[in-house]
Amino acid sequence: CEGELDLEPIVEQTSASLFEDTDSYRQFIARVYAGISVSGQQGPAGNPDISGIDEGFSNYLRQFWKHQELTTDEAIIAWNDGTIHDLNNHVWTASNEFIRAMYDRIYFQIALTNEFIRQSSESQLDARNINGADRDEIRAYRAEARFMRALSYWHAIDMYANVPFVLDDQDPGAFLPRQASRQEVFDFLVAELQEVAPLMVEARLNEYGRADRGAAWMLLAKLYLNAEVYTGEAMYTEAIGTLNNVINAGYSLHDSYDELFLADNDSNGAQNETIFPITFDGLNTQGFGGMTFLLHAPVGGNQNPADFGINGGWFGIRTTNVFVSRFADITGNTDDRANFFTDGQTLEITDAFNFSEGYLVEKFSNLTSAGEPGSDPSGNFGDADFAMFRLADAYLMYAEAVLRGGNGGDTGTALNLVNQIRERAYGDTSGNISAGELTLDFILDERSRELHWEGHRRTDLIRFGQFTDLVWPFKGGVQTGSPSEAFRNIYPIPSTDLIANPNLNQNTGY
Amino acid sequence: GTVTEKSNGAPLPGVNVLVKGTTTGTTSDFDGKYQISANTGDILIFSYIGFKTVEITVSGGTLDVAMEEDAAKLDEVVVVGYGSSTKKDLTGAVESVSTKDFNGGAIAAPEQLLAGKTAGLQVIPPSGAPGSGGTIRVRGGTSSLSAGNNPLIVVDGVPLDQTGQGALNYINPNDIESFTVLKDASAASIYGSRATAGVVLITTKSGNAQTPLRFNYNSYISFGTNTDKVDVLSAEQFRQTVNQFGNANEIALLTDSNTDWQDEIYRTAVTSNHNFTVTKGFKNSSIRASLGYINQDGTLRGTNFERTSAAIKYVHRLLDNSLKIEGNIRGALVNDEFGNQGAIGAAIAFDPTKPIRSGNDAFGGFFEWTNTDGSPNTISPRNPLGLIELTDNSGNTRRVTGNLKLDYDIPYVDGLKATVNLGFDYNDFNGLSIVDPNSAATTQNGTTTVSDALNRNRLADLYLNYTTDIESIKSKIDVTGGYSYQRFFRSGRSVTTDGNGTVTAPTPFATQNSLISYFGRLNYSYDDRYLVTVNYRNDASSRLNPRDRRQGFGGVSVAWNLINEKFIQDSNIFSNLKIRAGYAETGQQEINQDFGYLPRFTTGDDQVRYQFGNEFVTTIRPEEFDPNIRWEISKTYNFGLDYGFFNNRLNGSVEVYFRDVEDVLNFISVPAGTNLSNALVTNIGNLENSGVEFTINAVPVQTEDFTWNANFNISFFDNEITKLTLTDDPSFQGNPTGGIAGGVGNTIQINSVGFEQNSYFVFQQVYDGAGNPIEGLYVDTNGDGQITPDDRVRFKSPNPNATIGFSSNFIYKKFDMSFTFRGSFGNYNYNNVASDRGNLAALTGANVISNVNTSFLETGFQNPQLFSDFYVQDASFVKLDNINLGYNFGKIFNDRADLRVYSTVQNVFTITDYDGLDPEVAGGIDNNFFPRARTFLLGLDVNF
Repeated sequence: CEGELDLEPIVEQTSASLFEDTDSYRQFIARVYAGISVSGQQGPAGNPDISGIDEGFSNYLRQFWKHQELTTDEAIIAWNDGTIHDLNNHVWTASNEFIRAMYDRIYFQIALTNEFIRQSSESQLDARNINGADRDEIRAYRAEARFMRALSYWHAIDMYANVPFVLDDQDPGAFLPRQASRQEVFDFLVAELQEVAPLMVEARLNEYGRADRGAAWMLLAKLYLNAEVYTGEAMYTEAIGTLNNVINAGYSLHDSYDELFLADNDSNGAQNETIFPITFDGLNTQGFGGMTFLLHAPVGGNQNPADFGINGGWFGIRTTNVFVSRFADITGNTDDRANFFTDGQTLEITDAFNFSEGYLVEKFSNLTSAGEPGSDPSGNFGDADFAMFRLADAYLMYAEAVLRGGNGGDTGTALNLVNQIRERAYGDTSGNISAGELTLDFILDERSRELHWEGHRRTDLIRFGQFTDLVWPFKGGVQTGSPSEAFRNIYPIPSTDLIANPNLNQNTGY
Repeated sequence: GTVTEKSNGAPLPGVNVLVKGTTTGTTSDFDGKYQISANTGDILIFSYIGFKTVEITVSGGTLDVAMEEDAAKLDEVVVVGYGSSTKKDLTGAVESVSTKDFNGGAIAAPEQLLAGKTAGLQVIPPSGAPGSGGTIRVRGGTSSLSAGNNPLIVVDGVPLDQTGQGALNYINPNDIESFTVLKDASAASIYGSRATAGVVLITTKSGNAQTPLRFNYNSYISFGTNTDKVDVLSAEQFRQTVNQFGNANEIALLTDSNTDWQDEIYRTAVTSNHNFTVTKGFKNSSIRASLGYINQDGTLRGTNFERTSAAIKYVHRLLDNSLKIEGNIRGALVNDEFGNQGAIGAAIAFDPTKPIRSGNDAFGGFFEWTNTDGSPNTISPRNPLGLIELTDNSGNTRRVTGNLKLDYDIPYVDGLKATVNLGFDYNDFNGLSIVDPNSAATTQNGTTTVSDALNRNRLADLYLNYTTDIESIKSKIDVTGGYSYQRFFRSGRSVTTDGNGTVTAPTPFATQNSLISYFGRLNYSYDDRYLVTVNYRNDASSRLNPRDRRQGFGGVSVAWNLINEKFIQDSNIFSNLKIRAGYAETGQQEINQDFGYLPRFTTGDDQVRYQFGNEFVTTIRPEEFDPNIRWEISKTYNFGLDYGFFNNRLNGSVEVYFRDVEDVLNFISVPAGTNLSNALVTNIGNLENSGVEFTINAVPVQTEDFTWNANFNISFFDNEITKLTLTDDPSFQGNPTGGIAGGVGNTIQINSVGFEQNSYFVFQQVYDGAGNPIEGLYVDTNGDGQITPDDRVRFKSPNPNATIGFSSNFIYKKFDMSFTFRGSFGNYNYNNVASDRGNLAALTGANVISNVNTSFLETGFQNPQLFSDFYVQDASFVKLDNINLGYNFGKIFNDRADLRVYSTVQNVFTITDYDGLDPEVAGGIDNNFFPRARTFLLGLDVNF
């Protein structure tokens, strides 16, 4: 009867049988991408990927957004969830559960991609006798998995600097990864992306939703643009070279700014501007993070949820007067990007927990370009995709790299690219700037106007040396705001991992 | 002759009468009469549970016997797992509670029968939700963190699935003969890897051979009402508060109605219960069959529990009594109306100035908060009655358990017996949950959820028992050895269809595990003075990696029956005196997953597909795993003393135990990047438990007309976590636990090294001169000049330092009266009702106004202060659980029947300083608790 002990899982599968079927690779790479948009294997919640935090909060994109936006002048939150206000206030510690959730999400994604890379190695494919077109397809998936791993390692060094370094050569189990310096990971990422890009499908030719060469270039350009922060050594010339690849790949600015953030932004023309989307769908890709959060949390007060194609607001996030002041006319009548809702809201914030303090930002919506609500008839989950990378960002990066002294570009092109963005926002050339107005300060503000709430602000402020100096309400824990210490440019390694892995040293200041 | 009860002369039916040294025997009938063929000079042995065994030499003719109750029950047979023993031969801490000591009242959950009855066993009664199960904790229930603390429950030799707790309610309490609690590890260790949290053995009633056909009908009806309400503002106070603190928009939301929502959602709950039992004994067999029906309303409208149960136990002796066949089958049909318990929280929050009904047709006519376009405001409280009336949430359970047991006295080898026990448990649940399309609780145009679950297990035990009495060396030996196989299967699924036609069907859940074990026991006694028991079990579990899935557990215990020493007997002070000591290693195999050691992939639902082009691709995900996961091991020392004075009219025991649990499963962070999640369950921690237990049973008065029995027990507990992580790091705070309402994902408890399990982790509140808490001002415990989460400290825990039970029963002529007091000391609750809703922020927001907890009037808090120790409150209590009064009419209808009528009050009163509704909340976090009703019951019991 001892054989009665050798039971097999009933619902789950073991890898031995699973990967004989080539479809499994497609399903697995889909999960790698979904690692950014969903929170577990049940929608909208259930069987979560990571724990230690509410599942809805644990979503990669939701945490990424919070770490890039709530810690800046662009957003403030009214909720009373754990230590969330410590992000707004720049008083976080190594035991902050949100900082841990972001970190754990990044490393879940790294473990997931490493597993994919292991399962799709040439020797595994040989052993499973997979050849021909199937094998080519799996090779493309594998390059994409390497890109996705690079994306998460970029997030890791951008936020946590010196981080545990685990690649696919180590099987899952009980080992203690070593801590690699930011420089080492940076160098790895540059080499990895240079190697991977040619293995990926050509820019704009892959299936929508999957990363292509353009996405790899964009990520590489991000690394180069921030190289001075990461390594102390400027690489603006390399940035321009890579951005030229992106700009010349055939992407185009969509004619409407508003439509970039709508339910049908995978098909209304916005997709031509998108370099790398994180996809969501009201019926098929559900969760309480990602776009569900970005569609519901900013809605409340006197707004009508139906105007956003959703069933209700969550009365959560608003913006500060510091961001509002970046627009001369806040009505949106001149600059389309000034998408504020002010009825019943005060500009000043004296109580961070009071949703009616601070203007509302009307950017993301679950209505289609035709004004119809998205596919989920209950209004819970939205269809709008999140553009992790889009062309307007590349244009502004190009201009910035040129202004910062990079070679291989020119200010004329830079001005032209920036004015293309301004013309779309203003509807005409009235907002165009002159060559003299194209300064680094202008670029930082223009990035905020164009890309606010898209997950760029913290990295931008750090690159411009303003993350800790710029003040907004409740920064430093005081209502008027006060600067924070320079060490906060890097988040702490969560105390949970310091305990679990004695090889790690905490970042300076924590 | 006739057998009677010595104290009152009443006939004693069912007494076993045996000619000593033979297998000739009979049983006394309904009138205590018996008839047996014996020769003059033979010795007759009269035995009956709870009475002293009597031996009388036959002198011819009739032989009348008056049997005396055995106060100390030293000869009482006690089941101990794969066999039985007698109280005087026990070497471990084993307690038995049988029918006559059970709690009275409208009891649907069997575990409630023994609440307060034994030291070291806590039964936290179920909440007021009808059909809900209580929480059983043996010796504090602190032997594990992530694995279970539920004891193993064994019904007639069939261990139930430990993961499916609260599931005892399929057993009609009327069918239970006794509970035996194996508290101490040396006694429990025969159950090896399932024994650490204690073992509770349930024996069901059976018939007796050679008894006439008898019927019993037992029925009661009871009425329950809530004793208290959660303190919220009245409509008048609410108006004042909104007018004082609200802005113009909020004041404008006030209307003229006065609705006490708590009054509206609760009602008087009626329970009716009927049991009908038939027993008949034949020459070589006996049968007991019972039917039970209970219909129990909850005080919350829309909640109900209905159980129809049937049980048959048949015993047949063959081959000249050498083969005993026992068949046992038990079935229950349970219909639950779960109602909508969300109404409890909604009633506390909903604006008391709003009417129940809006006067228009939207939302089924119920007033609801809406957006400007008339759609429901999705983050406001819902109308409590709308929740109740527009949801239908029901389930029905079909459960059958049974076993067939064969005991065979192997010929030619005196004292050798073989036993085969085959058992099964089949449990099938079907649930249906419907939210009406008109309900404001749905934006999906209504939902219908169909769910089902199937749990089953099967068991085969095979063992041999050999007993021998070697009088030449005054030794008795009792050896048992055997094999056990048990396999468990659990599955479940649910499908939700909404009014828009969207179907959500998460991947069904199904899993299995098995245990294969060898076990043995040796009892050796020398001269009835020195006793040794050795228990051993070797378990192999499918939940562990094949390379190390088998392990031995066991223990040794010794006892010295001092009462059988001449110097004690001569002293004439004691009627019983025994000292005991034991050591055992046991395991805990409830590791929360069946294949945690194996790399595996799960398939995602249709709702988490990913878009590639125009295709939504189903996903697969690799799961985290720990190839080395194993069971928790606990090492326990137990020291005991049994005493008896005055012919055992005063008796009891004292127990002291120390338990070290090693390899405690803990849900810990893995080094980032090394596994396929951020945390997993692995063996990492150590714990210590210790405790002292005292029991006193007394018969202070015993006369012909008046008997008074009393039982008092007290248990002291201590527990500490001694290790939690791989590397010792004093800066590690611990693992947060204990989710609370207020914000999302907030926790209030922590498991930290050097502290009790589930200690509250809070800020120390600073108070002003008048003793009022100052909002947001806490003690800067680490002295860094600012208040950060690092200033939180561990403060108290939900675990009691001590519990007591005190029960008594009185019999005066035909009247009987009994009561049970229960107390708990040093346990603290987190008053989440007050912390979440006792502040101004709870009053407004999201364009609605909502009621607040009256603690707001005291604190004046503007915002929730969820982590203030102000809300960690002493929840020590003493409760009078029940008081029963009965009158025995004796024979009625020309002696054709006898009748007893009785009345019970349950939840009579509670003495506590705790501010919340009820201090007794499992886990210590008090939020939206379903109140326990105070119940008045009237019942009758007829035998005919």
